[in-house]
Amino acid sequence: MKADNILTVEGLSVSYGNFNAVQNVSFDVRKGEIFGLLGPNGAGKTSTLSAVEGLLKPQAGAITVDGYDALSKPLHARASLGVQLQSTSFQPELYVIEVLQLYAGVYGVPASKDQLMGILREINLADSAMKKYGELSGGQQQRVSLVIATIHNPKLVLLDEPTTGLDPQSRRQLWERIEAIRERGHAVLLTTHSMEEAEAVCDRIAIIDHGKVIAIDTPQNMIDKHRDDPEVIAVSRRGKITLEDVFIALTGKAVRE
Amino acid sequence: METSSIPQTSTVLKTLLRADFTTQWRNRRAVILTLIVPVIILMTWKPLIKITGGPFVLSNSIVLGLIATGLMGYSNSIARDRDKGIFQRLRVAPISAWSIMTSRILVQLTMIVILTTAVFVIGNSYDQVTLTAGGYIITYFTAIVGGTVYLSLGQMIVGRIKNPETVNATVRLVYFLFIMGGMLGELLVVQDPKYKMLGDIIKWSPYGTVRMILAAGMDPAKWNNDASMALLATIGYAAICAFLGIKWFKWNTK
Repeated sequence: MKADNILTVEGLSVSYGNFNAVQNVSFDVRKGEIFGLLGPNGAGKTSTLSAVEGLLKPQAGAITVDGYDALSKPLHARASLGVQLQSTSFQPELYVIEVLQLYAGVYGVPASKDQLMGILREINLADSAMKKYGELSGGQQQRVSLVIATIHNPKLVLLDEPTTGLDPQSRRQLWERIEAIRERGHAVLLTTHSMEEAEAVCDRIAIIDHGKVIAIDTPQNMIDKHRDDPEVIAVSRRGKITLEDVFIALTGKAVRE
Repeated sequence: METSSIPQTSTVLKTLLRADFTTQWRNRRAVILTLIVPVIILMTWKPLIKITGGPFVLSNSIVLGLIATGLMGYSNSIARDRDKGIFQRLRVAPISAWSIMTSRILVQLTMIVILTTAVFVIGNSYDQVTLTAGGYIITYFTAIVGGTVYLSLGQMIVGRIKNPETVNATVRLVYFLFIMGGMLGELLVVQDPKYKMLGDIIKWSPYGTVRMILAAGMDPAKWNNDASMALLATIGYAAICAFLGIKWFKWNTK
């Protein structure tokens, strides 16, 4: 593992029965970068992330988080991770402030109620402290979820399709928050379907398809590298080559279920 | 607020317990519903006390409360939280899986103590059934032991079935079977020598053994060989169901 890597994934393979969801995937995330994992539906993005989070046991490979082997020392690895799952849900009976209290506790963060209210004020949700999570709008839920993912100031934040279902305003706001996480010196690993999002916020991206990484680079380099490929030109719609054109050329036009 | 070390187990458990007890408190209407059947039994079976004795009525009442707590309370909450991804969110935190479950089980054990206390209070004030100090203490113990049978049976159901609606329907069906086969069976069949085999099945079922240890615990002087065998059977049922429930259990529904 290189010194400036916060996450190293080497030869990762994940299977569900006979189905190989992730096959020999390797990549790393460096300190202070936003790394995007892009791929069509069922490409293996969430399975890769789940293996890093410790939610499933890979069949092969090694995962190192902040110097800890995530397979043999999962709790140490998880202590360095902040996670926002694809569909995060909290106990519907608890108020927002209580959910924050719960996660501050499970991450071992000694935070008073005043400090937690301060956090809610920062994300403009102080008025919603005594609301239940389910009563918040999608954008508000994302803000709470992100604040919980970063409550312990983790070195690496994992975001699984964080902007799905958000309106453009909320999406932009979330991008700013993700960039703010990077500015505080933390790394971010996110999965997304949105090429616009990948271009806007990611320093580097990996395209994953059929469980395999097929390209890793910066968004701009990836566009430049494939600009003259006939497949890319063929799928280009407006003359200007975009990351989406490269993505479709690399992963195919067929719709995935 | 920087930390990347593993939080202390005591801090984690305290935090989880606070959240789980708060959740339970906010669901108090559901809790009250689990107490209704035991209370109805205490009230409607009052005339039976002269014939069968206080411990028979109280033990039936507690057993049904234990079944409702273990099956309907525990299984449904676990199935719902698993389906909503609440467990997955907790599991990506630096805490062990056993601490999540320990907190849940401690809440249910507290419910068992509350249920048993409620039955004692109503049994005493309405039915005038009073036990010895030893009887009360042993009954708390047997209620907890008996409660683990239904908690582990609930764990087994939630381990085998993933869909929360199906879990809910299944536990209601099992609850109904326990009422019909256990409580009514004990009243109508066990006493009748014509149905000895059926009576034995009911007597040594998870309903019958728990009821037997509860009744025997309420009157320690009458604790006999059957009660000891029932205690062993109860522990056996709990161990088997817990083993299978843990083995089958998946933290997500995918």
